Amino acid sequence: MGGIILHTVRFILFVLFQVLVLNHLEIAWGVYPMLYPLFILLLPFEMTTVPLLAIAFAMGLSIDVLSNTFGLHASSAVMFAYFRPVIFKLFAPRDGYENTEESNIYTMGTRWFIYAFGLLLLIHHTWFFLIEVFKVNEILLLLRKIGLSVPFSFLLSLFVQFIFISRKKSER
Amino acid sequence: MRNLIAFFQRFRIFLVFAFLQAVALSMYFTYSDFPRLQMLTTAGAINAEILTIRNDVTKHFNLEETNRQLQWENKRLREKLKNALYKEDKGLIKIDDTLYRQNYSYIPATVINSTFDKRDNYMTIDIGSNHGIKRGDGVFSSRGVVGIVHVVSDDYAVVKTVLSKDINIDVMIEKGGSFGLLKWNGLDAKRGSITGISNDMRIKKWSKVVTRGGSGIFPRGILVGRVEKKGYIEGKPLWDITVRFSEDFRCIQHVYVVKNLMQEEFDKLQQLIPEDTEEPEL
Repeated sequence: MGGIILHTVRFILFVLFQVLVLNHLEIAWGVYPMLYPLFILLLPFEMTTVPLLAIAFAMGLSIDVLSNTFGLHASSAVMFAYFRPVIFKLFAPRDGYENTEESNIYTMGTRWFIYAFGLLLLIHHTWFFLIEVFKVNEILLLLRKIGLSVPFSFLLSLFVQFIFISRKKSER
Repeated sequence: MRNLIAFFQRFRIFLVFAFLQAVALSMYFTYSDFPRLQMLTTAGAINAEILTIRNDVTKHFNLEETNRQLQWENKRLREKLKNALYKEDKGLIKIDDTLYRQNYSYIPATVINSTFDKRDNYMTIDIGSNHGIKRGDGVFSSRGVVGIVHVVSDDYAVVKTVLSKDINIDVMIEKGGSFGLLKWNGLDAKRGSITGISNDMRIKKWSKVVTRGGSGIFPRGILVGRVEKKGYIEGKPLWDITVRFSEDFRCIQHVYVVKNLMQEEFDKLQQLIPEDTEEPEL
């Protein structure tokens, strides 16, 4: 029950932060940081893929509605959620995910986080900018947007975890 | 039948995934053609409310710049007032003359949300159909052309800005009058390009680019920017002209929506032009 409330509050905060702050950051060269993939990553482990997809879709759509992107974020978020179990299986630690509730940087370790979340974020951003640009002759613009935005979003996700997730609680 | 159910169970996850993707993508790709999902944009009431609150906080950050702009506009307009002019020919000028009839009227609006770094950039303004604007009306600010109204709700509207893929506003070089279409390449919020000007035209660097008024959306002569660079396009007899926008889309606050009072008459006349069967190669 506490988990549901926690994730609902997180959902609202992530949407508002994306729409009210990140969408208005004035960074040059097409950099567009996106933080909400972190929310989908932090959803509980035992959640099956279908509810995961539904929540991701709702998340993406809420952001779309508030930033005039008509389904772009929804599509990318669903992409992220679809690949989450795949990547998790790919990078599973030797003794599985048995004692972990949440996959943040403290419970999973820095190495796992860089590989798994980095890859997921790359998939998400590539899909997002691919659909947004959608022209073959603008491939350089596309690569630049992906190449600059992914590190940005990744660092942002790291900071958010360092600041808001308590280390002790996670390592219990 | 059992096989079918087994199939669905087996590929359940993928089917849900494919369904959600199909919904999201069809929404994204059909949006610009059918603006029926009005609730799903920032013109929807609740969404607009949230953004209005946000703008109430952040608009003060740009106050100095906004004031300076308005002051300049006031200065320009004041210089055009009768008391700032010298009457050359006393006795001939009638004050209430009938030579001029109002063609365009302008409705002021405040920008409550805008982007400038996406491939297509939209902005939300705080007036809507209640104030008499409709899809397709032009939008400009005291510095230059901004865009075209895209979706309208009762009290809000979403404007497709010049920084979009298919904006295609009729523009011309002020000196010489050679005209073309304004495009944006998605890279730089300060620069756009003009296509369709033949490269035997003489074009001076830094000459003004203004609207042509060719489609009745904008009055003739609203500033767009200045020619910054011109180059050859390989294999085509056209100039590749780079325009530096006079509008700064990164800190836009107040705009005017253009209402063409003679649009109907204009459209009726335009329909009489026989349609081109071949696409011109640009």
